Formats: sequence, structure tokens, C-alpha cells
Amino acid sequence: MKHRTVLLLLLGLVQYSTAQVADRETYLKEFDQRVAYVTSFYDTMQTAGYYQAAVRYARNRDVARADKMFAEMLREPRGDMFWMIPSLGAYLVGKDKMSAETRALVRNAWKTYAPYRGDTENHWCMYYAALYLAAEQWPNLPGSEWYNGKSSDENLREAREYLIEWIRITTTIGQGEFDSPDYFPEYAIPMILLSHFAKDPDMKTRGTMMADYIFADFAAEHLDGQYIGGFSRIYQPAVYKPLLSGGSAFAYLYFGTGQPTNSGWIVIPALCNYRLPEIIYSIAVDRSNTIIHKERKRVRNVIRFGTEKNPPVYKYSYITKDYGIGSLQGGILQPIQQHTWGVRYMYGHPYTTIFGLHPYWSGYELGMFFPEEVKTLIADVVASKGTYNNPDKWTGGSPFERTFQHKNTLLVLYDIEPGTTTEHINGFFPRNLEERIVDPSGWIICKAGDTYVGWFPLQEYIWKEEFETPANSLSDIGRPQLERVKETGNWRLRSYKLQNGYVIEVRSKSEIGSFDNFKASLRKRIPKAALVPGKVSVQYTTLGGDRMQFGFPDKRTLNGKAIDLSKTRLFDGPFLSADVGSEKLMMKYKGMKRVLDFKTIKISE
Amino acid sequence: MKSIRFFIVVMILLATSAPSLAQKSTVYLSVLSTKLFVVGAANPQTGIFYRSTSDTGWKHTGPPNIRAFGFDVHTPSRGSLLAIASGNGVHQSQDGGKTWKITTGWEITEVQSVVIDRNDRTFMLCTTPYGVFRTLDGGASWRECNSGIREKFTSSVIIDQKNSNLLYCATDDGVYRSENRGDSWQRTGLAVGGGRVVVQHPTDSNTLIVGTENHGIYITRNSGATWDKTEAGLDHSTFYTIVYDPTNPQVLYAGGYVTGVYKSTDGGQSWVRKNDGLTTLNIHSLAVDPTNGNRVFAGTHGGGVFESDNAGSTWRSAGLHGSQVWTISVQPF
Repeated sequence: MKHRTVLLLLLGLVQYSTAQVADRETYLKEFDQRVAYVTSFYDTMQTAGYYQAAVRYARNRDVARADKMFAEMLREPRGDMFWMIPSLGAYLVGKDKMSAETRALVRNAWKTYAPYRGDTENHWCMYYAALYLAAEQWPNLPGSEWYNGKSSDENLREAREYLIEWIRITTTIGQGEFDSPDYFPEYAIPMILLSHFAKDPDMKTRGTMMADYIFADFAAEHLDGQYIGGFSRIYQPAVYKPLLSGGSAFAYLYFGTGQPTNSGWIVIPALCNYRLPEIIYSIAVDRSNTIIHKERKRVRNVIRFGTEKNPPVYKYSYITKDYGIGSLQGGILQPIQQHTWGVRYMYGHPYTTIFGLHPYWSGYELGMFFPEEVKTLIADVVASKGTYNNPDKWTGGSPFERTFQHKNTLLVLYDIEPGTTTEHINGFFPRNLEERIVDPSGWIICKAGDTYVGWFPLQEYIWKEEFETPANSLSDIGRPQLERVKETGNWRLRSYKLQNGYVIEVRSKSEIGSFDNFKASLRKRIPKAALVPGKVSVQYTTLGGDRMQFGFPDKRTLNGKAIDLSKTRLFDGPFLSADVGSEKLMMKYKGMKRVLDFKTIKISE
Repeated sequence: MKSIRFFIVVMILLATSAPSLAQKSTVYLSVLSTKLFVVGAANPQTGIFYRSTSDTGWKHTGPPNIRAFGFDVHTPSRGSLLAIASGNGVHQSQDGGKTWKITTGWEITEVQSVVIDRNDRTFMLCTTPYGVFRTLDGGASWRECNSGIREKFTSSVIIDQKNSNLLYCATDDGVYRSENRGDSWQRTGLAVGGGRVVVQHPTDSNTLIVGTENHGIYITRNSGATWDKTEAGLDHSTFYTIVYDPTNPQVLYAGGYVTGVYKSTDGGQSWVRKNDGLTTLNIHSLAVDPTNGNRVFAGTHGGGVFESDNAGSTWRSAGLHGSQVWTISVQPF
């Protein structure tokens, strides 16, 4: 414990020092310190677990206990791909130190325990990366030695085919479960394992390249441990307390940002030899210049109610040293956990965000993506994701929501069908804002440190103060707990008008000067809206003087010129560029360059 | 005279013992899920369960945690060949469930149903959200065969009893027919979409019946050229399962979303509800014992399985409480 305190003190200094871009030597030294801190939680933990065992093997400390942990854990394997990845990761880390009996137990588990392959991209990615590595570990075995009846060769071939196809589609039309703060680990860990442990040189390189790829994707939209923009999937409470997400744990370990964490997600990666390339680290932490970053992703496989399997997702992010605002175009792009837009900023952990949504749910939405019966899917989903049909939920996309972003101005419109779930929209305003002023001009004007946020509701609304559920405050092990009694609640803006919308303006002190100046500027900018069913639109001139016209659902005009989202490149920003279909990503930062060419499986610098 | 008396006694004994022999059918069912299923969690056992009709306890066979939507039992081999349609693909057993192999690859996923040709065990079809796939070599290789199908989400496929080249499938935009084992498909004359299940009359192969999402039940008597809606007595519109009583094709049962069980005794012209004893009305699967038409099974969404010994007049729970019983089959062995 004393050791960990020393590490934490050291890391406090490290955190401070990494506000600037560290040189490579310093970065690697600090990375090792973070590895030591993260793993320090697990090397003395007595409860059985794969992370605890892995650290013991890696440190060559109390190996006998690690063997016993494996025996205990393998008595009744469970968890499907969430078993495959950590158990195999721990095995690969420790196989040279574990007993022959333990190795035999692991082998036997792959014969007798049949994991479910899952029904979505992160499941398949974990499943096949683990299966690939397992088939390499135990070659030339007949089908009778594997849980699925396939031989080692068959498993290796199938896993390889899937992984190559996943890489191909991701680098041509984008990731499906894209930019998910909560599901980042589910992609990063399999790729890091492939990078370290794959025996096949090509697959090893592919793993390294895809780890680079998803880290670069995160880095370009990163601010102090937070993912910026719209996301395919995010859970409550991470949606309003951003550093709680698994992705933030990776930001801590690899970027040195955010907060120290004891997240188990990063234990196996911390024990692997994958190191973030200097250019990706630099892209992640250098916020000396404002960034406009655009991306094209894809919708998760649409299996009903649509003719296109993977329609495009268009993402726009604007990031400064103080804040980031990002958005997806709106509509149903992912089931259940979509985050269509949000502002996130440096000030005021843990509540560093403002966002809004139409809390929609339906069997139609679920039926688009899940093969079970449309009419019973809501009940099935609510059984595991209890907020799905809650009118107060903070996650989810809506077919009745669209956005139009230009720089740090965002227009959001709703044309909600009567009778749908639900007939209101919500806005999240955290409790710890320094100012939340309801201005007579109609603007709601907020101050969060050096970040100022203006929100102009196009319809009447009410405020509701609300507290989190105790379950949320108890779930984040090792993180600051809420002082529930002393704190006031967060604020919910609610508007019951079906034809609705708002204008968001975000500026920082360095962009616009004082908060008073921001307020005065906003008062001169009153949007003009038409809000009748089937004809919802808004016109607005931004604080920067750009004229935006937006007609629901998809008529976007900037300074008189129509915006064609379909021309959005796969990556388009100062740091990352890639064309749709290219299978190639170019990273640039100052004098550095790194190109990942997935067609030739080559990295060039 | 003695031998004649002995023959008569033997015949009487055989006749009186026939019902008990008939009771030794085997019920198979697939449990897709149980309450509170979460991927990656410690979930209750799911998959394929079976028992003798004269028994009460269910036994499990095959992988336990694979999201089993459907299955097929190869009747001529008395169940030595089994196939499961699951989230992981198509699992096959060649030895009555002792050993299993996934015969499909990564690209075939969330398999909704699988059928084995009764006359050629190397010919199988499976349906998925991405359409129909086929093997002609017993599962050694599978290929997509969706030519002509517009909306690919396919819930159900059948092989004509007399002509293995002739197939029908129920997809999101209706019912399709193939005359070449799935090389190409033509949409039948069914005017509505939302096809969920298509079944064929036990003896008249030109007669088929389809259950749909939101559009009720339709019958064709000319192999799909024209369809007539059957409405008399039906108060619901979403049907996931329809079965003929193999012992009397005038009798049918149908079930779906909060429908309970509907029964027809006139070949599907009219229906009456038969829910006495059912504690859940969300029906996903039905099956009739081919050796005893009075014995009917109903699989529910979340309420386990129910059994009737009097052709649906009354039902009692047959266990697997909390289960989503996606498919049921009763085999005469």
C-alpha cells in the first residue's frame, strides 16, 4: 500500500508533467510508472482472478497462488468472449511460469467450455482474436480437442479470415461500434494481444497496426482522458461522468491523461510489449491548436427495416485545449447506447459534459439490429439494460433527431411523431457548473471554468433537479465516491414540444475573452425557427459569423452552400487522413508521419 | 383352433399395448434464452433439451450456451443426425448428440432455423438475418443462396416433402419459392410481408400456410401462386408458429405474440383459442406428437414449455420455467 502511495505521488507529478508533450524517453519512463501503479492493485489481491494471476506470473511472485487462482477460475469457466480474452491473456503472459498442471487445465477448458460467439462486432473481435491465438498455441489438434469440434487448423483459418475481414471493412468504410468510450477496451485488448503474442508475423503486424489504428482514432478526438464527440455506444453513468469509461483507463495508461485508475481492463495490456507510437501519443496530448476532425463510420449491421447493411455515419468534432464538441448526424445509428452529440471540457470532474437527446426506444430500433422477435425485444433488452425504456435515460439515438455542426456551433432539431416513445427531449446540465444562467434573451448560458456553453432552446421547457441512483455511485471501484448528502443534483432540461430543437454555442476564454463578453455576444444571436410537423427548420448566424440553415431531417446549408455529408472521408483532420475504401491511414504530427497500409500490411514512417 | 385363439390374443395384446408404445416419442426443444440472459454473464443453461413423452425430466444435449434458435432432427436416422441453428452457427452431431461440430464459419451467424432433407442427409439449409445458406455435402461447405430475395431476414425454410429441389422460405417481405434447391428464388403471390413461419400440409404438398408479423395467417392451395387470409376466430395478427397435426391434417395449431394457442379443426378455415391452463400467452413454438395427435406441446417466450394430452383443451406446465422455447419437435422414436 505504501508502495502504491509512492507511485501515486510520483504519478501526480507525472500527470502534471504530461500536460505538455513528453519526449519519447520520458514518455516510456512514465508509462512504466503507470504500469507499476495499475498492476500494483492486483499483485497482492487474494481473490482469484485472471488479472491477479497474470500480474503474479509477470512479476514472478507468488506463482503457486496464481496457479491456484487459475484452477479455481477454470473449475467453471463462464463469460464467453469475456472469458476468452482475459483467461487467454493471463495464460499467454504466464504460461512459461505456470505449472504443467495449470497449462493442462487451460488446454482442457478450450476443449470443454463452449463460449457463445456473441452478436456484435466487439464480441466477434474478442472471440476470434482469442481463438486465433489459442489455435496457434495448440496446433495440430483434431476437432475432438476443441469445444467447437473444429481442428486447430480449421479454427486458425476461420479466426484469421474473420480478423482480416474485420480489418478490411473497418479500414474501408469504418468501424461499426465506433468511438465507444466504454467498448474501446474490447477492441484494444485483442489487438494488443495479437501484436504481442501472434506467432504468424503477418497477423502480429496486423494486430500492431490495428492497435495503432484504434488508438489513433481515439487520440485525434481525445481531451484529458475523455473521448470527444458522438459515440456508437456508451453506458450510464460514463455518459455524464466521462472518466468512468473503460476507454479513459486506456487514456490514462497510454496517453498519461485523465485520472489514475485501478481498472482491470488495462492489466493485461500493461503486461504486453505493445507501446504506443510517439506520433499517436503526441496527437493525443497536444491541444495547442484547435482541431476540426471529421470521420466516416458505419452503422452496425442492419438486419431488418432497411436495405443497406451498413449505412454511413458522419462524425464532426471540434476540439480545443479547453473543450471539445462533437456530433453524429443523428437518426438511429446504433441501438440502445448511442450518444449523438455532446460537449466535454476540462473543468469540473467528474461531471465534465453537457448534452441532449430524445430518449427514444422501440422494438423497431431493436429489430433493426437484433434477430430476436421485434415485439419481445424491449423486454429482453430491459432485462440486462434497465434504462433502455426509461423516459429519463441519458443514452440512445432517435429517428426523430438530427444535427448540423459547424466548428463550435451545433444545431439540433427534432420532429417527433406523436405517440412515440417518448414525447419529450432532455438536456443534461451538471451540478458543478459555475454558472447556469437563464437569460431573458432565451439563451441558457453556462460557465465551466474557462469553457462557456450557450444553449438556446427553440421551445418552452422546464428544469428538473435530480440525483443519481446509489447503484451508480457504488459501481466504480476505487474512484472518488459521491458525497451524496452534501451535493445538489444535476439539472435536467425537459421540453414536451414534439417539434423542437436548440442551438449550442461553445467558446473558451482564450477564444472569446470574458464570460460577460460571451453572454453579450450570444444575446445578439437569436435563432429563427419554424416548428410545425413535417417542416422543422432553423436559421442561425454563429458567433463566428457563419450562416447556418438546417431543415429536418437532412437539409444543411452553410453560408448559402449545401453541405454534402456523403463526401466525408474516413478520417479528415490535421492529424489523420484516410479515404473511404483506401485500407490506409496516414498520421501526421509536426515533422512525424506514420502510414498504416493494410493492403500491403506495412507500416511506414 | 388353438393357434387362431393364440393369434387373436396376440393381436389384442398388440392392440392394447399400442398406445403405450406410441407414448415413447421424443420431444426436442431449443431454449434460446432464459430470463436475464446477458452475453458474457453466468447464464442459466440453454440450448437443446429432450425427453421421452412418457417422461417428465428434461435432459440437455449439445453446447450449453449458444443462443439456440432452432434445430432439426433427422427422422429417418432416428435422431443420429441432429443440427442446431444458433448464434454460433450450425452445430451438427452425427452420433445422436454425443459429439458436436460447428460446420459453418464466421460469416454465418445468428442462425434462425436449420432443416435437413429427409431423403438426402447431405442437403441442409439454414436461415439467418442475412438470408439462406445451403450445404450439399453434409456441412463440409456452406454457401449463400439468396438470388432473387429482396429482404434477406429469413426466419423459416422448408423442403418440399416430395421434391427436394422445391423450397419455400418466409422472409421479411413475404414467402419465396425455389425450384432449384435455392439457386434462385421467386416471390410467391403472398401480398403481405413479415413472413415468420411457413409450413406445408402433411399430405397435400400444394397447400402451405404462413404466419406473419402483423398480418395474420394466410393459406395457399396452389403452391404459393395465390394466398387467402384466414381470419375467422383470429383476434391476433402476429404468428411465430403453426403446426399441422400429422395424424389429422384438418387440425392445426397456431401461436404468436400474446395469442395463446389457436386451434383449427377445418384445415385452417376457422380458429378457436385453447388457452385453459396456459400461464403465459406469448407462444413461440408448437408441436404435435406424430404418434398421438392428442399430445401437443407449446413453447413460450419466458414461461417454459406447456403440454396438453387432450389436443389443446387443457394445458399444464411441462417445465423449463423462465425459458424462451424457440422451437419444438416431437419425433416418433
